[in-house]
Amino acid sequence: METGIRILLLTALLASLAGCASVRDWYHQRAERRAERRAAAEAQRTQPTQGESPQDESAPPRVIEPEVSRRKIKVPHIRSSNVELGLNYGALSIEDFGTHPVYGLTAGYHITEDFFFQAEVGRSRGGRTSFETLGGNIQLLTESERRFTYYDLSLGYNFLPGEAFIGRGIAMTNAFYLLGGIGGTDFAGDTKFTVNFGAGYRIVPADWLAVHVTVQDRVFQSSLLGTTKLTNNLEARIGTTVFF
Amino acid sequence: MAHSTSTTHSIPPSRSTECRAECRARLRQVALASLLLPALLLAPALSKAREYLQVFVAQPYLELHTGPGRGYPVFHAVPRDQSVDVLFRRTEWFKVRTERGVEGWASQAEMLKTVLADGSPFVFSLGDRAGFTSHRGEMGLFAGAWGGANYVSGYASLSFNSQLALEGAIGQFLGRFSNGVTGDVGLTHVIVPEARASPFLMLGVGEVHTEPKATLVQATNRTESMAYVGGGVRFYLARRFFVRGEFKAHWILTKRNRNEESDEWKLGFAFFF
Repeated sequence: METGIRILLLTALLASLAGCASVRDWYHQRAERRAERRAAAEAQRTQPTQGESPQDESAPPRVIEPEVSRRKIKVPHIRSSNVELGLNYGALSIEDFGTHPVYGLTAGYHITEDFFFQAEVGRSRGGRTSFETLGGNIQLLTESERRFTYYDLSLGYNFLPGEAFIGRGIAMTNAFYLLGGIGGTDFAGDTKFTVNFGAGYRIVPADWLAVHVTVQDRVFQSSLLGTTKLTNNLEARIGTTVFF
Repeated sequence: MAHSTSTTHSIPPSRSTECRAECRARLRQVALASLLLPALLLAPALSKAREYLQVFVAQPYLELHTGPGRGYPVFHAVPRDQSVDVLFRRTEWFKVRTERGVEGWASQAEMLKTVLADGSPFVFSLGDRAGFTSHRGEMGLFAGAWGGANYVSGYASLSFNSQLALEGAIGQFLGRFSNGVTGDVGLTHVIVPEARASPFLMLGVGEVHTEPKATLVQATNRTESMAYVGGGVRFYLARRFFVRGEFKAHWILTKRNRNEESDEWKLGFAFFF
């Protein structure tokens, strides 16, 4: 059946690619520019001849040749500041492996006032499971396998925007946001597909600076301790980001 | 810093392993701080652009919000014929400064009603349908499935014209039996580029690196070539953004007796430029 789909797609592709032959505007941008240049050159060539011989004989001769030079305003580029880069630090509770410090990097891109993308990388370390502690000299994982590295890409939604005040004179904009995304987790010598969701709070003391408090759950399937189960790894962190 | 070095020296040598761990943790913190500090110092310097665009209020007044969002309250109104300097933009909001030095956020819809110094309207486009039909490039991210495994991937494309584009994609699949990465390059033919939901077809070649899980027999990592044919639909959302869903049927050219077939389904979010 799968081969059937392949043959169907290939046939459709071959049929439609034939249409490509009729496409005249290869490198259309360049072609457009060439056409514009040609038109401009033509206009220049025709202009002096028009000036020498006025088309309408009955029209009174021009006394003063108007010499109006149009002023062209150079519009300065408006800088966009949609990218947010930063560092964070917090605590990550790895299911069965205890709670440990986590540190990471975040990069965000604000698409609209409501939505943003966020990419995250973080690293922590798994401790000893209770099985290892009680069992004496049992080592489930080597030291390097205990390293917990996650990376993911999430979509964020801002809600409850507002302002926070310090004293009389300082007001800072803030917002809560929801996060949800997918990624991977390197732990116990394996990379696991990880789904994450969470919420956070962002306060913006200056246009270029933001402080975040985020709580996120990272869920992946693990069969380390005998049975296959979904593990929830809760993370709470505080971070600073800079807008670019 | 001076304090931290004195504490590490005071720890007796018998606890050297703990000390080393502590030192490493502290080193990490210092590294973090040293990364963060220049970023913090650099940012305000970067934000000081020399020349700003000046626009004049042509509508009865221009409302300024306290933040870049419709939920933030209006705190100031700039009357007609006064000018504002456009400092920068965040999403669809512009940070502006009035002649009196009041700074606030104006929405794109409001800003489009202003005029430039020569009286011509202020034009600012964040992308439209015409751009969706014909553009130079695309980039996007996908989530989906690769032969039963979970799949995350990203792509970039370069358009020759509105119908034909060269595309490259990389991805990672994480499954129960194996993990791996994929990379491919191919041609994409958009059948009806002017439609809001425009279908396309793809043909290309790639490589796949598979790492079977250690519990399986014959668990050796392998890198194999592949070829694909596929199709999909892209759907224009707003501004420069669109949703793209696609299917690719891959033939994996193995070194074993039989070639493999693997299907890739994915749905993602992309933008054009």
